[in-house]
Amino acid sequence: MKIALKIGMLVLMAAAVSMTGCKKKPKAGAGVDVGDLGPVGAGDVYGDALAGRPDALTEIASQFGFVYFEFDSAQVGESERAKVEAVAEYLRGNGSVGVIVEGHCDERGSNDYNLALGERRALAVRAYLVNLGIDAGRIQTRSFGEERPAALGHDEASWSQNRRAEFKLFQ
Amino acid sequence: MKRLMLVVMLLAATVASAQVTVRKGAGQKSTIDWSAYQAAGDPMGQSFLKVLTDDLIRSGYFQRGAPGQSELALTGRAGGAGGSFNAEVSVYNRAAQQQVYGKRYPANPQEIRRVAHRVADEIIEAVTGKKGMASATLAMVGTRTGKKEIYLADADGGGLRQLTRDNAISISPQWGPGGRQLVYTSYLKGFPDLYLVELATGARRRIASYSGLNTGGAISPDGGMIAMILSKDGNPELYVRDVNGGALTRLTQTARSAEASPSWSPDGRQIVYVSDQSGTPQLYVISRSGGSPRRITSRGSQNVSPDWGRNNLIAYASLFGGRWNISVLDPVSLEAKQLTPGDADYEDPSWAPNDRHLAAGRAIRYASKVVLLDSLGDPPVVLTDYPGDWTSPAWAPVR
Repeated sequence: MKIALKIGMLVLMAAAVSMTGCKKKPKAGAGVDVGDLGPVGAGDVYGDALAGRPDALTEIASQFGFVYFEFDSAQVGESERAKVEAVAEYLRGNGSVGVIVEGHCDERGSNDYNLALGERRALAVRAYLVNLGIDAGRIQTRSFGEERPAALGHDEASWSQNRRAEFKLFQ
Repeated sequence: MKRLMLVVMLLAATVASAQVTVRKGAGQKSTIDWSAYQAAGDPMGQSFLKVLTDDLIRSGYFQRGAPGQSELALTGRAGGAGGSFNAEVSVYNRAAQQQVYGKRYPANPQEIRRVAHRVADEIIEAVTGKKGMASATLAMVGTRTGKKEIYLADADGGGLRQLTRDNAISISPQWGPGGRQLVYTSYLKGFPDLYLVELATGARRRIASYSGLNTGGAISPDGGMIAMILSKDGNPELYVRDVNGGALTRLTQTARSAEASPSWSPDGRQIVYVSDQSGTPQLYVISRSGGSPRRITSRGSQNVSPDWGRNNLIAYASLFGGRWNISVLDPVSLEAKQLTPGDADYEDPSWAPNDRHLAAGRAIRYASKVVLLDSLGDPPVVLTDYPGDWTSPAWAPVR
């Protein structure tokens, strides 16, 4: 509980810093076709092997904002980037923790396909974090597909809240 | 798993070796009458007769006919007391004036459903020459406990038993050959990993826990290989590997798209799977050793969840006009036929071992049940009339 609170405050501070400070533009993946990933979460990181899973991993609650996605898209939109940047800022100041990026989908489409789409959302956020200078070894991805909706309705109001990436910290 | 202990005794009269096969066109039914069957007043006997005759009707090859006017007459008696149960069943072809089936099964009272299913399949084979599905097992995902767990049920949806108690999220069950193994995806250890259950012993082991996503496990028809979707190399892709471990062979190279839901061809040489490399999820076929994938679906805004049947037809879910329906596609001619009536959303088809029927999930107002579909046109039948949502059915291949 205490840790969560502390992290929450750090997140707020990090967010404040990132809003006032000079926002770092993500590096364009030089010479890499970014395709449907758009300008962010693409390029030179995507397609690199993932870091090994730690044997034992203690998850810590966090209060980072969710990153939202368009329908059937794994592209981190312009409006969502500051949320990822806040996480990167926090990770820079807290070298001993890692982050699990969780990818989620709305309920439309097959469960199996949504597991893959959710993973791609998590990987897009991971790619942006790496672009922002975070060591890929500190990032794990976990797709929940459509299995853990944030909102339970069956309309766009709920679906738009469910197409998201969440952040969990671990030690 | 308890082995079915059955003593089979052939009635002397059974040896009507000349099997009179009733030849019928697709969708045509033989009339069968069981009004003379003696089970009245005996709860075990009545339960046996109900399971048996429901199986016969569900098979699609029979309809109930009037006494004295039906093509087939089912006679005999079934009943039991205390620790014993006995069923005698005969089927006569009236036109040929010949017994086409006759058997007596002494059994334990706990085995009444199994005996009834077995007799149903034997009658179906004796009359039509075709394999039945009544004795087959279905795996599926149920939410009865509040969490997604894997359940097993008889082909009529009865005899429900809970296979996993992970208290996590357990999804995507698929069988190995003969129904001896079941592979599924579970978050038991926090991440989506693949687990394999040996049905005979209940032993379970984690067979894929690479970084990122481990899902879509599908065991090859010879039981040696497993196809799966992994993101360990940075993106969800299709891989194959020995079931028991060893080196991975990566079959797809699509850095900007997602793959899902592999299913093996009956000869084990090809795999059908979902990829959104065209922008929407569509079905592709690739050789088990890799190479260029071939797209096989063109109609429908999304085509997912393929199941390649032993009949060489691929069943899948297709989104068309805002509705999910089940279609069946010939991967050679690419001819497709829609099976479901468009009255609900149908998902995740699985061919039954009789090569005629399929199980699928059917969602009506976001409540999902497993239904039986008939590729020859009988209307859908609900198999899981239980509380909770029931999805992702998978038929165990016959032994």
